[in-house]
Amino acid sequence: MTDTVDATLRALLADVLGLGEERAAALTGDSGLFGELPEFDSMAVATVLTEMEDRLGITIDDDEIDGEIFETYGHLLAFSQRKVAG
Amino acid sequence: MAEHQFRLAPAGAHRATVLLVPPLFDEANRLRRTLVLAMRALTADGFAAVLPDLPGQNESLVALEDVDLERWREALADIAASIVGPVIIAAIRGGALIDHRAKAAAWWRLAPVGGASLLRTMMRARVAADREAGILSSLDSLQEAARTAPLLLAGNALSPAMIAQLGTAEAQPVEPLRSVGLGADGIAGTPLWLRAEPGEDAAMAAAIAADIIAWSQTCGII
Repeated sequence: MTDTVDATLRALLADVLGLGEERAAALTGDSGLFGELPEFDSMAVATVLTEMEDRLGITIDDDEIDGEIFETYGHLLAFSQRKVAG
Repeated sequence: MAEHQFRLAPAGAHRATVLLVPPLFDEANRLRRTLVLAMRALTADGFAAVLPDLPGQNESLVALEDVDLERWREALADIAASIVGPVIIAAIRGGALIDHRAKAAAWWRLAPVGGASLLRTMMRARVAADREAGILSSLDSLQEAARTAPLLLAGNALSPAMIAQLGTAEAQPVEPLRSVGLGADGIAGTPLWLRAEPGEDAAMAAAIAADIIAWSQTCGII
């Protein structure tokens, strides 16, 4: 399950940010996202959230989102895994 | 007033006309290059292809805040009615929310999406942008504000009617319909309509055109 969430999340970021498979595969827990990748603007954040809901089968509430989640790939993955685990 | 249409057709007589209904709002811009490449592939095979401006979009002189999904459905019905010969409607993403009022010989949809999902993404972009600007907003507060006045979402001024309709809009049944997604069973390609920075994909455009052409043949349209 953990691997599936990781793979889904990488594919999703590749789709939204146009990273290409290689850059998406090279993301580590410390890789910076919002504020680091120029493609990651507020529209991209919104698109990522909606796609996470669709592809991971979760619902994300407004107040669950803080800036920290999008700081690094590791934070986003941990958040996703928590949500999927319910 | 008639809206601008981008139309491509082969020299001389053409086969049926493919009326493309683009994705809605920003997604249309992200996919436009690829859609136009698909139109070129259609004309290479003898079809005419039309990509209309919806009222309030692109070169339209109508203010976006004056339109809603109903008006777009009517506009598409008028465009389809003005086309001589058989029409195949090819709608992508949110285009599938407005493609059913028009009369056509066949429908084709790529990755149709519910209006609520599109609206949620645009509202979230507004909340995220507000937060960067130090303004506190939420999906609930925006929804409330949108009941009485146009709301600016990701650069689009949307009327209360548009927002209310988007909130509940789903693709409607049409016949005959082929609905495809991305991937092995559908169109090979990536969801370019999600891309933060527009890209293009010639192979995907060719696959879109080939799938539409195959469907039109299945439906007995020449």
